[in-house]
Amino acid sequence: MKKRSYRNPVGVGKYTGLWLIMPFIIGFAAFTLYPFAASFVLGLTDSDGVHTARFIGADNFTDMLASSELRGAVWTTLKYTLILVPLKLAVSLLAAVLLNSEIKGIGVYRTIFYVPSILGSSLAIVIMWQFLFTSGGLADQLMGLVGLPSVGWYGSSTGAMAMIVLLRLWEFGSAMILFLNALRDIPAEYYEAARVDGCGRVRAFFRITLPLLGRVIFLNLVLQTIAAMQEFSAPYMITGGGPMKSTYTIGMLIYDEMFRYHNAGYANAVSWAFFVLVTGVVLVLFAVTRRRREEDV
Amino acid sequence: MKKLFIHLAALGCITALSACGSTGSAKYTPPDGSLDKCGLRFSWWGGDDRHEATLAAIDLWQQKHPDITITPEYGGWDGWTEKVSSQISGGTAPDIMQINYDWLVSLSPEGDGFYDLGLLTDRLDLSVFDDEVLSFGRMNGRLNAVTVSVSGRGLFYNSDTFRKCGVSYPQTWSELLALGDKMSAEGCYPLDLDIQSGGTAWYLAVVYVQQQTGRQFVTMDGELGFTEDDIRAALDFYKQLEDAHVTRTVRERIDEDGNAALYQSPSFIDGRVGGVLEWGSSVGKYDMVLPAGTLEAGAFLRGDDGKSGGWMIKPSVMYAISKDTEYPDEAAAFMDFILSDPECAAVLGTTRGIPASSRAEEALEAGGLLSGLAYDSDELLSELDVVTISPYMELPRMKELCNTAIEKVSYGKADTSQAAKELYTSAEEYLKKVRK
Repeated sequence: MKKRSYRNPVGVGKYTGLWLIMPFIIGFAAFTLYPFAASFVLGLTDSDGVHTARFIGADNFTDMLASSELRGAVWTTLKYTLILVPLKLAVSLLAAVLLNSEIKGIGVYRTIFYVPSILGSSLAIVIMWQFLFTSGGLADQLMGLVGLPSVGWYGSSTGAMAMIVLLRLWEFGSAMILFLNALRDIPAEYYEAARVDGCGRVRAFFRITLPLLGRVIFLNLVLQTIAAMQEFSAPYMITGGGPMKSTYTIGMLIYDEMFRYHNAGYANAVSWAFFVLVTGVVLVLFAVTRRRREEDV
Repeated sequence: MKKLFIHLAALGCITALSACGSTGSAKYTPPDGSLDKCGLRFSWWGGDDRHEATLAAIDLWQQKHPDITITPEYGGWDGWTEKVSSQISGGTAPDIMQINYDWLVSLSPEGDGFYDLGLLTDRLDLSVFDDEVLSFGRMNGRLNAVTVSVSGRGLFYNSDTFRKCGVSYPQTWSELLALGDKMSAEGCYPLDLDIQSGGTAWYLAVVYVQQQTGRQFVTMDGELGFTEDDIRAALDFYKQLEDAHVTRTVRERIDEDGNAALYQSPSFIDGRVGGVLEWGSSVGKYDMVLPAGTLEAGAFLRGDDGKSGGWMIKPSVMYAISKDTEYPDEAAAFMDFILSDPECAAVLGTTRGIPASSRAEEALEAGGLLSGLAYDSDELLSELDVVTISPYMELPRMKELCNTAIEKVSYGKADTSQAAKELYTSAEEYLKKVRK
């Protein structure tokens, strides 16, 4: 048999690889690295985004320490993350397990479960949430049917936080897809062997599925934590950060300082402090799960 | 590769550094005296009534000036300031902008944030405005903006709701307070007050105290005119309105309407909330959602002792030209058209209030178009001793501080003395900072 030969149309030189990834490098440098560096410098000024800025050293950072508004936003963001992330991981894992079967039309079900994730927090969602959660809305009516009292979602701190959490919980599609892929990689033989040994489905889930999903759970944990800490659009669109700032996240604070109050210097300084906070949280996650992850290797 | 990234990051820092000193003095494209073929962008905020009328006015302009194309950019008020200020800081501002009064303080304190309209008088006829009206748009000696209309925030009532409840429109504060119980028996409220971007809850409380004391909440040069006691009196008055069922509590309001604007909420459209405090220039959006002729202008409330002052007026909307425009002559010609052209005035009607331009006002009068809610409210206001609102009171941070105080009092998280103390301290501190 004649051996086929391939010729690389671009030619392979010393810098070919570099040239091939150049579009990414240019995009990364222009839209990530440059704003990232420039933002740090702006954080050291009293810039209002429009006029000549003055260097004020670390004043913005010391102002931050004294700001009760910022402390409130940090606490709200952490609380939101702590409530949302475990719930989202549990729901997406449950959905992935349910959808990891070969019944007829499973593709349609998977698509349906994914659809909410592409809706984000658009205007349509805002209107839908309004129909669902304002007094006398669908949520109140359903609760009334089972004899529960009206909650007052928008007006109470707990209710408002619950609305935002429910929206993001409903959008569990991307976490679910990661779990689903990992589940499909677990060989069916493991479960068959367990069944032969008399192991039930629940026990198999905890003894086989969960341990084998360890790395994906960690990946989802990190991704969802970062996304939750950056939350902006859901409270901005649905609650406006209220009531009593109970859904006012760091993302909203940065936006307000930057665009509503023309406080660009301070907003950029907060962004950097926020970056350090998110990095810190992710490092903690790495540290506390290290032993577990090393065991998996 | 690592080196490359470090260099790029350093470049970023240097560019940011150089940007710090680059926006000092205003450098405008000078007018060249001719109207060239070009495309201009014109942006405004408002309700549907204003959008429809303005689009029709642009069509009229296009018929007369097919060479100068106008691209409209419009939307609702919420988020509009943020959108335009980021356009301005990014150097992509529309050529002609409808601006709010406080933007002059926040975006052009030195008078160099917008084009100096004094350079464009060949195309822009300023003789049709009186001097006081023009002075609203002057910053640091430069004419940055021209006032489209001067209007006051007045009370407008749903006549059906009041008829159903068997009550008439209040003339005094005590009549308003008495209405709460009567109307709540029918499941209605005489008035809506909010802590959203409009901040009408604090606004009405300020009017009440200004009327009583003769002091202005914030003076024209950005000093706090109210004492801590005045602020407490304003918060006490607001609480009294809630307790007397004149308005829903902050919590009831948000539970019922969510985060929606009042004119989009079922409680207003169904007539359960029978009144609104709104600028004459913007009341059209409330009028549009009710059956024609239902919304009527009510009296500017006075005290039982006959005091009637304290109500405020402001240049409700202004037009400015971007300092970065490449077509100042054309932009000025278009601005003159929408401000003063008689035909255009007839198309725009009172969707931005009663025109400040005498030529536009005459055109409306001649066409029998000086009528409607904005006109009725304006007529009532003209009989009062009004004060011009300070642009500093309109700054978003000031509104936020005041709304927070109202929210705390309404939710019972602070008593009025505590909230007044916090508001007084924070407002003093903030105003000192912005006055620089």
